[in-house]
Amino acid sequence: MTAALILLALILLLFSRVPVAFALGGLGLILIVLGDLSLMMVPQGLYSVVDNFILLAVPLFLLMSNVLLKGGVGRDLFNAVQSWVGHWPGGLGVATIISCGIFAAISGSSVATAATIGSVAIEEMSKRGYKKSFVYGLVAAGGTLGILIPPSIPMIIYGVVTEESIVDLFKAGIGPGLMLAGLFILFSFAYARFSSAYKPVPKASWTERKKSSLRALPTVILATIVIGGIYLGVFTPTESAAIGFAVSLVIVFSLRTMTWPKLKEAVMESMQTTVTIFLILAGAKIFGKAITLYRIPQDISVIISENFTQIGMFVFVVCIVLLVIGLFLESLSMLLIMMPVLYPSVLNMGIDPIWFGIIFVIMIECALITPPVGLNLFVIQAVGKASMSDVIKGVWPFTLIMLLSVFIIYWLPQIALYIPYNF
Amino acid sequence: MHWINQISEFCGKLAAWLFFIIAAMITYEVVARYVFLAPTIWAEEMSQFFQIWATYLGAAYILKKRKLISIDTVVSRFNPRVQWFFDLFSLMFIAIFCLVAIYYGSHIMFESIQVGRSTSTMMAVPKWMTESAIPAGSSLLLLQVIAEIINHFSHPDDVNSLSGEIDI
Repeated sequence: MTAALILLALILLLFSRVPVAFALGGLGLILIVLGDLSLMMVPQGLYSVVDNFILLAVPLFLLMSNVLLKGGVGRDLFNAVQSWVGHWPGGLGVATIISCGIFAAISGSSVATAATIGSVAIEEMSKRGYKKSFVYGLVAAGGTLGILIPPSIPMIIYGVVTEESIVDLFKAGIGPGLMLAGLFILFSFAYARFSSAYKPVPKASWTERKKSSLRALPTVILATIVIGGIYLGVFTPTESAAIGFAVSLVIVFSLRTMTWPKLKEAVMESMQTTVTIFLILAGAKIFGKAITLYRIPQDISVIISENFTQIGMFVFVVCIVLLVIGLFLESLSMLLIMMPVLYPSVLNMGIDPIWFGIIFVIMIECALITPPVGLNLFVIQAVGKASMSDVIKGVWPFTLIMLLSVFIIYWLPQIALYIPYNF
Repeated sequence: MHWINQISEFCGKLAAWLFFIIAAMITYEVVARYVFLAPTIWAEEMSQFFQIWATYLGAAYILKKRKLISIDTVVSRFNPRVQWFFDLFSLMFIAIFCLVAIYYGSHIMFESIQVGRSTSTMMAVPKWMTESAIPAGSSLLLLQVIAEIINHFSHPDDVNSLSGEIDI
């Protein structure tokens, strides 16, 4: 009963356009007052949530991907990949996905990935007569690889909220990330097979390949340092992000694609995103503490274990709920509202929390490309100067592919769990 | 109200460069560990110190720039007059939250000063130096909220929702 009332209050606040951070924090505050608990929990929550070394990876990864975005490494990367696979059927589509995949290994953000690769891929593919809606859908979906292939900001937040190992989450993202990229590539082949509208790119010569690859090489090396360093345990995700940022500054300044005003923009934008995320995180922390004192997660966990005997049913219902919430709510807020409530149930049902995290991230990816508030849609609309209806028309096959991949990972959890548990 | 906007703008820039400095410190720490074989004792703690300050110094700027995330789906369908009331409600809601954070946050801070609490690391940084970020940042945010409320009344036709997007 209490749980239902709290949920109702939260929904009312959120739909009244109260910013998510303060809807959560404020409702937490109200619950603390009503429960006659100490309001000291409010500043304590605000303090403890950012007094966290792991969380530093968030601003640092953002700094790195924003610097690379402003430095225009997307074009070099796309040109290099394109020179190798461009002449294949649907080759530019394949090049787009591979470029997104490589950039995803540097960036923890799907928006940065979509914007970096999108700005050049949309232009090149449109020139070659690919159908607009397909191009937009492809780039929007390819961008979401940014949060599945490590590093990943949602995974960092998931790890911070559930206290699971972020390195394990990162490792678990590799298999599903490659699989999803593979499925997108297959779809590009199939699209090319049944559409003759596009002009194939002539095969690039070896000198062209060498030249373009050389220019993209620093980016690939950077990806290797960032992922390899975490993977081998040379540095923590936070340190890897800082090193990656330093290296990317060296890259963009030596390629002479970075200017002082652009750097200032990158620094300001990283701060904005970071503070926005951290404020929601702080609100969620206060809310989470308050509902735990009301024993809400525990009660929900009991209700869930009484009603769901099968893990499959539970995961299915969670996915449906996420799909619906994802229509209204931005992805990280979704994660921060749902996970504190769901986590005890996940443990109770004997579900592997790392595996569940991967499922959750793919559902976030779906939310990023489903209208009306899919953020990647807005990004593509902005970088491609596209009409929203074209973008929306283009993304639905990719949404289905993502749901298919959730299904596959449900039946073959090893795709996610093999790497973290064996290496 | 001009000066409030200027303060928020300045603190936003300060916050942004604090994150930049954090990156430099952690990079230095890794280099010190692997190249000089002498890890620092200050890098990790200082970066957390800066992170707390940067986050709460940036809050007012985020409000000013309309970057706070909110659900726009329902309210944006109402007429501007109704939207105006919803936004006023949001601003009041944030203001109350700030007041609580300022009051209880300073309480914790003063207590730490009296007791002389410090971190349990080699640096033994006095706790109040980071704890003061909460009341300070909340005060800045409250000032910005007040500026927004005044603006809300003086330009009632200028419906400008608080919502923004997050770049993830």
